Amino acid sequence: MTKQDEINIDVATDPRLLASVRGLVRTYLQTEGFSSERASEIVLAVDEACTNSIRHAYGGNTAARLSLTVREQGSAIEFIVKDEGVPVALEKCERRAVPAPDPTSLMPGGLGVQLIYSVFDEVEFHPGKTSGNRVVMRVKRPEKKTAQ
Amino acid sequence: MAMELSNAEKDGKYTIAVKGEIDLYSSPDLRSAITKAIPSASAALHIDLSGVEYMDSSGVATLVEGLRASMEKSVAFVLLAPAPPVLKVLQLSRLDTVFTIKDRA
Repeated sequence: MTKQDEINIDVATDPRLLASVRGLVRTYLQTEGFSSERASEIVLAVDEACTNSIRHAYGGNTAARLSLTVREQGSAIEFIVKDEGVPVALEKCERRAVPAPDPTSLMPGGLGVQLIYSVFDEVEFHPGKTSGNRVVMRVKRPEKKTAQ
Repeated sequence: MAMELSNAEKDGKYTIAVKGEIDLYSSPDLRSAITKAIPSASAALHIDLSGVEYMDSSGVATLVEGLRASMEKSVAFVLLAPAPPVLKVLQLSRLDTVFTIKDRA
């Protein structure tokens, strides 16, 4: 059931459309009172979750679908990215120390997951048993300024 | 805004100026521009990032690949005047110390 103040979008897995998704998320965060800097970080992390679905769950297939839900959950805002692709191995979704800055050993793969962890307060990866993935990302809402 | 690339070469120093957004959609174009430029850049390859409004991890990965490929050919790989959104993602990736970053002359 969709709550009254919930946003649900269903989008093709065409990377060209990611800019539009980012625009929507940015506008939402500005409306909710996030600073421009914090909004940029959250936009990046949500984009990384969508990018991961396209690249890993769908192997670059641009004709599949993914969905993004944005909703309030108590004092947090919850972003949920869902796909119907191949379940991603949980060990690839673990939070880990970013490698030492040695360019000869850099492994850029998996960087998106680490960016998601570094931006959000809570992150959950739920790969399905046979298909699909659900990534839940929560961020505390900025404290409302109280009137004097 | 989509991504726009422009190239310039002077005294063995090759510069690719990037404008707009580097994401999963546009990073393959930047990757191929860097790959093409390395043989022409006898001394240095500068990536001018002052006009970049957004960069994600696919952009970071593209720059890391460019750095590696340049090192193999002994070409200096320099990020020129990265805009704040670029610096931010490099810092979040803890890769800001890996790259040579210069202000624009």
